[in-house]
Amino acid sequence: MAATIGGVHGRLLRVALDERGSSAWTEPIADADFAGIIGGIGLASLLLLHLCPPGADPLGPENPLIFATSPFAGTGITTASKVAVAARSPQTGMIGDSLSSSYLALALKRAGHDALAITGMAHEWSVLVIDDGNVRLRHADDLLGYSAAETSEWLRGDLGTAFRVAAIGPAGERGVRYAAIANDGRLAGRTGGGAVMGAKRLKAIAVRGSRLPPAADPRAVAALARDLAARSVGPATAKYRDIGTAANVAFFNRMGLLPTRNFQRGQFAGAEAISGETLHLEHATGKHACAACTVGCEHHYRTRDAEPETSARVEYETLFALGSLCGVSDPNVVLRAAALCDELGIDAISAGSTVAWAMECRERDVDLGVARGDLPRWGDGASLLRALHQIGSREGIVGDLLAEGSRAAAERVGQGSDAWAMHVKGLELPGYDPRRLPTLALGLAVAARGACHNRSSAYDVDLSDRSDPDADALARAAAAAGSEDQAALLDSLTLCKFLRHSLGDLYEESAALHRAVTGLPTTADDLRAAGAHINEVKKRFNVAQGWTRALDTLPPRLLQPRADGPHIDPAWLERQIDAYYAVRGWDEEGMPAPSA
Amino acid sequence: MRASPESPSAASSALPCLVVELFGVPRLLARERVVPASGATLGALAADLVRRCPALAGTALDAATGWPLDGYSFVVDERFTREAGLQLGPETTVILVASAAGG
Repeated sequence: MAATIGGVHGRLLRVALDERGSSAWTEPIADADFAGIIGGIGLASLLLLHLCPPGADPLGPENPLIFATSPFAGTGITTASKVAVAARSPQTGMIGDSLSSSYLALALKRAGHDALAITGMAHEWSVLVIDDGNVRLRHADDLLGYSAAETSEWLRGDLGTAFRVAAIGPAGERGVRYAAIANDGRLAGRTGGGAVMGAKRLKAIAVRGSRLPPAADPRAVAALARDLAARSVGPATAKYRDIGTAANVAFFNRMGLLPTRNFQRGQFAGAEAISGETLHLEHATGKHACAACTVGCEHHYRTRDAEPETSARVEYETLFALGSLCGVSDPNVVLRAAALCDELGIDAISAGSTVAWAMECRERDVDLGVARGDLPRWGDGASLLRALHQIGSREGIVGDLLAEGSRAAAERVGQGSDAWAMHVKGLELPGYDPRRLPTLALGLAVAARGACHNRSSAYDVDLSDRSDPDADALARAAAAAGSEDQAALLDSLTLCKFLRHSLGDLYEESAALHRAVTGLPTTADDLRAAGAHINEVKKRFNVAQGWTRALDTLPPRLLQPRADGPHIDPAWLERQIDAYYAVRGWDEEGMPAPSA
Repeated sequence: MRASPESPSAASSALPCLVVELFGVPRLLARERVVPASGATLGALAADLVRRCPALAGTALDAATGWPLDGYSFVVDERFTREAGLQLGPETTVILVASAAGG
């Protein structure tokens, strides 16, 4: 049955891969589901909760790989062409959800579906081709070893440029647990969706379609979209448009927030060399915009040294993870490392953090089963690049170990190395030192997918005039939960978070857009409730997969007193977590009520 | 940055002369990492800052008052603030940066 609301088809495309090939069918998505969880990350999370059996091997056939769009995709609303990816994460064992700007979102909707769920495992390396209502597999042996960008270019040349492609690189083929899925140069990077796709022997998904679902009130949508597009290029996004998120490097360093040498410190002597300001003046080549975006925050740079020139797009997270975190201050090396992560198809945050863990193992003379000189070393760009190559191909003892991520690598190696594995629930920390950001510290500890600034944007509270270092636990917990709910809503509307300061009242204005697109009588309070509900759905998935309160914590390093800066008192953190559970309405062990 | 050591004079001894640290777009506009400015309060300092650094007028700071435009903020002693009446001392640190401080 087709949807009765605007902006969606109400259709989920199911694809099952097996020894004989593939079978495909359509299942309905109820209007009520769209009202409650909106779309995007919310829809992908709900489908994952329904389709993934408890205890499913993340790299096994039962783990569904889900792609979901939102009602806003294809409406002309700026930044809304994003696709959400969800699966049980091979990195964390918990919910693995990721969001990527992508023309794939438009293609999937044009093909008559709001979401795609793939189960099973292909009998040979394949490309899943969705051509309007027709689904087929194409062999992919000829594409193995190529980057996602090369794969996409080749497939669009072969199938036609109307096809849009999501693909994995060599790391996804080899089961690197933080492998990404790339679309149009952007990555669904975190939590290892690329490894899940590779385990299904899918090198790529190519989609073409011809019919978008109409919005309920196209004229109202057009007027609201025009207004938002105009504001999206106002002063609130100047930072992103003029320098990009790379602008964080120098400022964070000044504030003692720039994770350095695996979070040993919060300031890096080489920060200016890899800062956004320096890159802008000395390495910039241009900027690009994501699919259907008016902001244009993606900045591209080129190396400038005696080596062959390399071009790369970098974000703050790339610079911190491959720069200060590893003690590398040569911008040419960081740019090459960023380009290499994209070429291999790996998440730069987890890659850099896992390499930094290995660098600290070397510093501490931990035995990884190889000569000490074969391990990467602080500040040594060549050894960083070598380690990334080894990870991408799981080459040798080092590559195979580091391809598991810092948590699994530390568990395998032992010798106390978990003390400097900087992850939450197996997902490596983003580039914000939580020892100086108390609301974010709580947010990272409790976030469903692990340590992630995109799911807990609580740094927004700490880095604003709303920051209150003396806030009581309930107030801080409410702020952390509120930032999670806001992030969940934006990820489900598939609006870019960079618009958050362009919207006067995010909930009121989003509700107006939602009414115009869907025709539902959506209010701001409905969207607040939806944000909370989406986080509840994620939590329920985690509980079904064995989550316990012990997983809501921070790495030991952050909880230990140090001579040259603040630390997080473990008792303080437990009080904040207690308060967070209370704000969420969960019991003392963090469990949602069965009837909720 | 701390107060400039040569700043006090007989006429302005009551007004702390500070250096305002610039990050991101303000740094690119000003082509300077720091700009000296004086003021007993943050609002007064902002007014002096925009006079001394016209490149910031209308781009990051209000041309008339010097107060940060939407999208920019002062960070005083490592805390974001919008309090124009905030009293400044000789040891106060002041940063001008984008309000959207995160990724």
